[in-house]
Amino acid sequence: MTLSFANVGETGSIRKILGDDSSRKKLMDMGFVEGAEVRVVCRVSGNLIVEVKGVRIAIDGSLANRIIVG
Amino acid sequence: MSEIALVGNPNSGKTTLFNYLTGSSQKVGNWPGVTVDKKAGRLKGHPNVSVVDLPGIYSLSPYSPEEVIARDYIMGGNLDAVINIVDATNLERNLYLTTQLRDMGVPVVVALNMIDVSRSKGEEIDVKELSKWLGCPVVPISALKREGLDDLVGETIRAIGTEQPVPKVFQPKVEEAISAVSAVLAGSEPDGLLRWSSVKLIEGDEAEREIHADDLAEIDPIVSSLEAAMDEDGETIIIDGRYNHIAAMVAVSVKKPDVEVVTLSDKIDAVVTNRWLALPIFFAVMFVVYYLSITTIGGWGTDWVNEAVFEEWAIPGAEQWLTDMGVNDMLVSLIVDGLITGVGAVLGFLPQMLVMFLLLAILEDSGYMARVAFVMDRIFRRFGLSGKSFIPILITTGCGVPGIMASRTIEDDRDRRITAMTCSFMPCAAKLPVIALIAGAIFNESPWIAPSLYFIGIFAILFSGVVLKKIQGFVGTPAPFIMEMPAYHMPNARTVAISSLDRLFHFVKKAGTIIILACALVWFLSAYNWSMAAVDVADSMLADIGHAVSVIFAPLGWDNWMATVATVTGLIAKENVVSTFGILFGLEEVSEAGDEIWANVAGMFSSGVAGYSFLLFNMLCAPCFAAIGAMRRELGTWKDTALAVGWQCGLAYAAAFVFYHFGTLATGGGLTIGFPFAVAVLALLIWLFARPMPNPEAGADEGVVPS
Ligand SMILES: Nc1nc2c(ncn2[C@@H]2O[C@H](COP(=O)(O)OP(=O)(O)OP(=O)(O)O)[C@@H](O)[C@H]2O)c(=O)[nH]1
Ligand SMILES: [Mg+2]
Repeated sequence: MTLSFANVGETGSIRKILGDDSSRKKLMDMGFVEGAEVRVVCRVSGNLIVEVKGVRIAIDGSLANRIIVG
Repeated sequence: MSEIALVGNPNSGKTTLFNYLTGSSQKVGNWPGVTVDKKAGRLKGHPNVSVVDLPGIYSLSPYSPEEVIARDYIMGGNLDAVINIVDATNLERNLYLTTQLRDMGVPVVVALNMIDVSRSKGEEIDVKELSKWLGCPVVPISALKREGLDDLVGETIRAIGTEQPVPKVFQPKVEEAISAVSAVLAGSEPDGLLRWSSVKLIEGDEAEREIHADDLAEIDPIVSSLEAAMDEDGETIIIDGRYNHIAAMVAVSVKKPDVEVVTLSDKIDAVVTNRWLALPIFFAVMFVVYYLSITTIGGWGTDWVNEAVFEEWAIPGAEQWLTDMGVNDMLVSLIVDGLITGVGAVLGFLPQMLVMFLLLAILEDSGYMARVAFVMDRIFRRFGLSGKSFIPILITTGCGVPGIMASRTIEDDRDRRITAMTCSFMPCAAKLPVIALIAGAIFNESPWIAPSLYFIGIFAILFSGVVLKKIQGFVGTPAPFIMEMPAYHMPNARTVAISSLDRLFHFVKKAGTIIILACALVWFLSAYNWSMAAVDVADSMLADIGHAVSVIFAPLGWDNWMATVATVTGLIAKENVVSTFGILFGLEEVSEAGDEIWANVAGMFSSGVAGYSFLLFNMLCAPCFAAIGAMRRELGTWKDTALAVGWQCGLAYAAAFVFYHFGTLATGGGLTIGFPFAVAVLALLIWLFARPMPNPEAGADEGVVPS
C-alpha cells in the first residue's frame, strides 16, 4: 500500500518510490530508501509528518502517494 | 592562507560553530534553511586560516539555489579541508553526506555536534570505531555548549594537506564497476575526483555525463551490466549502497537505550499541527507577538523613551546646549527640529522593536517555524504556492531583506519568484512604528490593528500568487512539499539575545545613516520656500510638493499633504513615515506630548476609514530601497523587479481605494462619488484572480532543478 493509507502511529518498511524525478531523488537523499522503516507521526488533510531514520520529515499527499510501504 | 568549509545537513549547527570559530554573529535558528548564502570569516587564533559557513545540504545534488551555492563552493576545488558537521542524535541520515564528501578526495574532519543532546538521551557513540569506518578524524563537540572545539580546530589544522584513505562503502560488485569506470576516466579527471566522477556516472548524473560525453560509449555498458546484475537503476544502487553501509557502521558504533518513548516533540506536534487547532494556535501566537510588542511591554517602553528621553531631555537639552555654544540658529534648527526630532521619532520605537525581535527570535529558535510551514502548506497549495513560501513570510515579519533572500530555499522556480516578489506585503519591523502610530492616534490603541494587517499581508500574497502566475503564464501545480521538522528545544538565551540585539543594532545604524539623511532633506524642504526664505511649514517647498502630489491619494480618502509626503519618503525606508510626521509636527511646535502628536495625526484624516486606508496603502506599497535591491538580486532582472514593485504599488492603491469607499458606506458615511469606481476596481481584482489561465499548454514542466 502507499504511505497515504498508513495509520498514524503505524510503522512500515519502504518497498519502492514511484516516479522518476528530482523529488524521488530528494526523498532518497533524505533517507527514504528501500528497507528503511517509516512511522507516521501525524496526518493533516493528506499531508503527513513521518519519522525516517530517526528524523521527522513532513511530506505532502502527492509524495505520500508515491511511497510504497509493506 | 588555507580555506576550511563548514559542510553539513541543514540545521546541524554549522552557523553556531562558525560564530564561535570566527567571533561572528550570523543568524542561527531551529529550522532547516536558516543560512542561504556563503559567509567567510577568519579562524580565531589562526589569522591565516579562513572559515566558510555554507547553507545546509542533504547531499551534493542540489535542489534549490541555496544548495547550489553550497555545492558549487565545495566543488570549486579551493578547499584545504572540510569540517563536516554531523548531528550526533541522527547519525544514520547525517552520515550520508559524509560518505559523499569522502569520495571527493579533500581532507574531511567529522564534527559530531550536539553531543550534549545525544548524551542526555543516554546514547553512547564509539568515536574510534566511526573514525575507522570513515577513514578520517571524528571529534565529538557541542557548538552550543562550546565543548570539544579546541580539539576540533587542532584536528582540522592537522588534516590540511594530508591524504586520507577513501573507504570503500559499496558491495564488491559495485566497487568493481566503479574501478572499471575510473579506469576509463583515468587522466581526464584530477586523481582526487576520479572516484567521485565515476560514482556520479553510475548514478546517471546528467551534468557528469555531459562532461564525459566522449567516454560514454565505454562507460554505459559497464553501468548497464551492473544495473542488470542488481536489478535496480544506478541511482538507487548508489544511494542504497551508502545507506546500507551507514546502517552497518551505526549498528556497531552507536548504542541507544532501548526505551522507545513518545518524545516531547511528538506530543507538541499532536497539538500544534492538529487539523482544527493548528490555525487558531498560529493566529494566537501572532496576536500575542503584536500585543506584547506594540500594545503592552513594548508600547510602555516606547512611551517612556518618547517622553522621558526625547521630549524632556534630548530635545530641550540639545537646543539649550547648542544655543549656549553660540551655534548659528539655522544649524540649531536643522539639528534639533530636523535630525533629533526626526530620528528621535524613529528611535522612540526601539523598545517596541526590541520586544518584537525577542519574540521572533524565541519562535525561530524553538522549532515552531517549520511546523507553521507544514500547516500552511495545505492552504497555500490551493493558491498554487507551497508551505515553503511561509518561511520567508515569517522572516519578513522581522525584516524584508532576509525574508526575500529566504525564498532561495524554495525548490520550484515559479514558486520562488512569486514568493520573492510578494513576501514584502508582510508588515516588517520598520512598518511597526507606522502601525503603532496610527493605531494609537486613530484607533484608541486597538490591539487588532497590527494582526489585521498581518493577515491582510498573507491574503495579499496568496491573491498575488494566483494573479502573477496568470500574468506571467506560469502554470502547473506547486512543487511537492518535503521539509525536515527539527526537534523542539528550549530557545537558547545567548542565541536569542544575539539575534535580537543584532537586528536592533541594524535599525539604529539605519537611523544614523539613511533616515538621518532623509530627515535633513525633509527639514530643509519644510523650513524654506522656493526663494530660500525661512517660512512656516505651511508655506514651504515641501507643502507645495505635498499639495501637488496629494491629488493622487485623494481617491483613497486622504488628500492631506503631510500624509502624502510621509508616504513618499516611506518608499525609501518605512521608518521615514514616522520621522517625517515627527519633523512636520515638531516644526509646528506642538510635539510636547505624545498625545498631541496623536491628535495631529488623527487630524489629518477625516475618518477612521481614511486612517486605515492610509495604513493599508503604506503596508502594501513598495517596501523600501533595501528590499527592492534584495528582490532584484533574487529575481535576476530589473524587468521582473519593476513588475513586482509596480504590482505592489498598484495592489496597494486598489486595496486602499476599495476599502475606503466600501468602508465609508459601511460605517454610515453614505455613498461616495468614487463608489462606482471602487465597485469596478473590485470587479477587476476578482477577474484577475478568477480568470482562466491564459495559455494552459506553456510551461507545464516539472519542478526545476537549477545548476
Ligand atoms: N543542544 C545543542 N543545540 C545546538 C548545538 N549546535 C547547534 N544547536 C542548535 O541547533 C539549531 C540549528 O543551529 P544552526 O547553527 O542555525 O544550524 P545550521 O547548520 O547553520 O543550519 P542551516 O543554516 O539551516 O543549515 C539552533 O537552534 C542551535 O541552537 C549543540 O551543540 N547542542
Ligand atoms: Mg546556518
